[in-house]
Amino acid sequence: MEFYAQNHRKRPVRLSHATRKFAYDSLHYQYGLDTRKTLAVSMDDVPNFENLSPLERHDLSIEKIAREAPIRICDGEKVSGAATLGLAIEHKVPATFGGKEVFAGMSHLTVDFETVLKKGVNHIKDTAKAALLRYEGTEKEPFSRSCLRCLAAMETWHGRYLEALKDRPEYRKNYENLQRVPFAPASNFYEAVQSIWFTFAFLRLCGNWPGIGRLDWLLGDYLKKDLEDGTLTLEEAREILAHFFIKGCEWITGVPNGSGDAQHYQNILLAGIDEKGNEVTNQVTYLVLDLLEELGISDFPTSVRINQNTDEALLRRVAEVMRLGGGTLAIYNEDLVIQTFVKEGYEEKEARKFANDGCWEVQIPGKTYFIYHPFDSLQILQKTTLQSYEKPLEFADFEALYQAYRTDLANFLDTWANHTAQSFTRQENGTWHWNPRTPYTVVSLFEEGCVEKGLSYAEGGPIYNILSPHIGGLADTVNSLYAIKKLVYDEKRIPLPKLLEILKNDWQDEEVLRQIALNRYSYYGNDNDEVDAIAARLLSDFSDLCNGLNGRCGYRFPAGVSTFGRQLGWSVHRLACPHGRHRSEVLAANCSPTPNTDREGATAIIKSYCKADLSKLPTGAALDLKLLPSSVEGEDGLQALMGLMRGFVALGGFFLQPDVVDASLLKEAQKCPENHQTLSVRVSGWNARFVTLDKQWQDMVIEQNEH
Amino acid sequence: MNKMSTDVTLNVTEIQRFCMHDGPGIRTTVFLKGCPLRCAWCHNPETQEYRSQILFYPSRCIGCGGCVAVCKQKVHTLREAHLLDRKNCTGCFSCTGICPTAALEPCGEKMTVEEILSVLEKDRAFYGTDGGITLSGGEPFAQKSAIDLLKACKERGLSTAVETCGHVDEEILREALPYVDLFLWDIKDTDPERHEKHTGVSNEKILKNLKTLDGLGAKIRLRCILVNGVNTDISHYQAVANLAKSLKNSVGVEFIPYHAYGGTKSTFLGNADNGNPDWIPDAAQLKEARDVLAVHGIFVG
Repeated sequence: MEFYAQNHRKRPVRLSHATRKFAYDSLHYQYGLDTRKTLAVSMDDVPNFENLSPLERHDLSIEKIAREAPIRICDGEKVSGAATLGLAIEHKVPATFGGKEVFAGMSHLTVDFETVLKKGVNHIKDTAKAALLRYEGTEKEPFSRSCLRCLAAMETWHGRYLEALKDRPEYRKNYENLQRVPFAPASNFYEAVQSIWFTFAFLRLCGNWPGIGRLDWLLGDYLKKDLEDGTLTLEEAREILAHFFIKGCEWITGVPNGSGDAQHYQNILLAGIDEKGNEVTNQVTYLVLDLLEELGISDFPTSVRINQNTDEALLRRVAEVMRLGGGTLAIYNEDLVIQTFVKEGYEEKEARKFANDGCWEVQIPGKTYFIYHPFDSLQILQKTTLQSYEKPLEFADFEALYQAYRTDLANFLDTWANHTAQSFTRQENGTWHWNPRTPYTVVSLFEEGCVEKGLSYAEGGPIYNILSPHIGGLADTVNSLYAIKKLVYDEKRIPLPKLLEILKNDWQDEEVLRQIALNRYSYYGNDNDEVDAIAARLLSDFSDLCNGLNGRCGYRFPAGVSTFGRQLGWSVHRLACPHGRHRSEVLAANCSPTPNTDREGATAIIKSYCKADLSKLPTGAALDLKLLPSSVEGEDGLQALMGLMRGFVALGGFFLQPDVVDASLLKEAQKCPENHQTLSVRVSGWNARFVTLDKQWQDMVIEQNEH
Repeated sequence: MNKMSTDVTLNVTEIQRFCMHDGPGIRTTVFLKGCPLRCAWCHNPETQEYRSQILFYPSRCIGCGGCVAVCKQKVHTLREAHLLDRKNCTGCFSCTGICPTAALEPCGEKMTVEEILSVLEKDRAFYGTDGGITLSGGEPFAQKSAIDLLKACKERGLSTAVETCGHVDEEILREALPYVDLFLWDIKDTDPERHEKHTGVSNEKILKNLKTLDGLGAKIRLRCILVNGVNTDISHYQAVANLAKSLKNSVGVEFIPYHAYGGTKSTFLGNADNGNPDWIPDAAQLKEARDVLAVHGIFVG
């Protein structure tokens, strides 16, 4: 029973055999395949269903899901509750009418588990009852009723688990815990874990993909008390928490899809400071790291909030787990994120609570409606500013070109904001009103503001409502501008109209010039101040333009950077680039350099990225970094990883996703070197970037990594 | 500005950032040109000669002819292949300056201490308390200005390490000592005859210098190349262990397995590929070497 690790490192064994077996089975699809057996409940037997109001159809669906979803109790499970309907894995409310799903699910939010733990779901019920009294007879009454119906559905589902567990002595603890939680406040660690899990499972059963948030902050005090009272040992706590993580793999099916079969935005944050500024790191922090280290579960992508004062011991532990690979652990520079949020207008104590949306975009958990809109800045440069290279354009100087591009970017954002905002809101008598949306009542229950205000999650219910434009194509746009600056304006090698003509023809018969553009300039990611200044300026201008959109409706429009995997789809539509890229070739991801242009290694990439004022990007700016297992070997390697993280924080980075990669990836790098420029490899006594090695040498390194 | 550091130059082949195995933490390594040894297994043949050279990577050449046009010495000819008449090369680097694909690269550029420092400063945020800068090569102390560079680094609070073969005048080492936090001291072989045969010099001076520096309190990590069939015998490992134990300030030993890439690099300098795949030690040999030292309680990095 081996759990995969990079470089065939041995993972430690701390958990019981039964728990490890449970993990192994779960990671090998046993429960995911079971979940897929029943896709959804059918609403076909509800008379006149298609003519009912959306809210009515929604509530009937949730009620039926709660009544009919299969109950699953896994052998020996320590926490109970399971999201057992297959359509939920596809981000849909698992209820169909005429064979088609009725509603989509909701994601990109981390709900308010704090209230569930400390006050219990009954508190939410009381709030909903009070709201109904307030809103009876108003247009808000149906939503308030919907809240109570969905809570009742949760009770129905909860009751079915109690019934199933009741007479089974081996699940006595599960039964006892569920008699209290999640409806009553949790009174100890075990109950707290069950409370979060059950609530999370219910949200997922209904088709939603929430994030978990700050697990150590949520659970730390419960564990501390139990350990002090002697009612629980650390080993017992580790086993209980392991079952939480293992249950979280119940949607893994092994069925291939674009972004893998195991990404349901169930992110976890660890460490960092609390509302009062005290460090959160506690026993739970280390237990989570233990579990990630032992089981290699990557289904809860986990980020650690690092600051200038982060304890050496924590940083070392993070580096130890990180180098096992898989990219399971990432880091936030919380000093910068908090500063960013304060600048954005959050109170400092609120800013300190930040978590993410289940992916890496940051938000205040349990209080935020979040949606982002990705776009490709390179498309604007190529199609709008440079008019698809169809015309012999000239600009007086580089500044004139940049200003023209900035104007085009501004126009794009303006048009987009009007269009998008208006689809969510309408203006009547000078004030904004929310348009009715899909009734996301289930997530609304766990988002502060919704129940009280009588407004659903997507109708302005939460405290903060965010529509975030996400700029993509950063490196390719910046490098294109820089190459034009050098070739046309600084070195006057070629006039712009002629260059555009060459680009239109995809560099045909101009290989020498293309090679000059590729090799003689140092692009974004090489710590070259001249080009990095363009990146910094573009991001700053983009942020200012986004800020200018605020106040058009009930939303704020904070800026962010991302491509996720979209650059793959964009690349085929993009024309040749002035920095030597051919038409349709690969594009840069997130804040990473353009593939094949970074030549100075990981520290130079981080420096280029950090020269921008990243505190002007409130929803985040991610940097991906690939490292080879051999480069993080031994004490030197551990120190190097810690040094990278420390430097990242000191220089003002935002979010770093390091990944330690193995031999199979090296083979891929051999085939497609352009996609793997940042891999650095240990070559007895020195490091080289893998793709710069000759074939025979690459083969040897691959071999070394396979042993 | 320090007048010295603007005037003093060093011949540098490469400054490599984000090095993780040239001493503790994250380091920037400066490779300096010139070496008194001629190890048969040399990993960095481009740093052997003191004079600057041209590296030519045939696979990158697109035959644009830019170098032919720019070279006054007519070093380059382009027919079916791109040929270099290196003996006529004066090292003006006009060709490397114009080559669009970097098929021609300068190997050995004069840089002032200030210029080198400005590169070393770039990763200061990542060095922390453990990391810093490493001088390597070649033999760093073969260029006496290396001491100026080390001194300037210490003045700026940068931690320093030097990878040396030890075949250097004792006076230079004594002079450098206050500015070196860690010596990465190469022990190519402990057998005197084999040492002379494969490196071209006796190991007498190297061992004497090692002892002297240790007596002066230098912090030293021994670095031992392992060449299959040459020094992969127990008696060598035993001798390394004894040597390490004889030092008062040793901070462990590293074994570095031979690789044949140096041979490939030789071809880029216009020489024959002298790499020898038979010399590559296997994992068992590496483990054996480490185990012998571990028995003696010596830290093996």
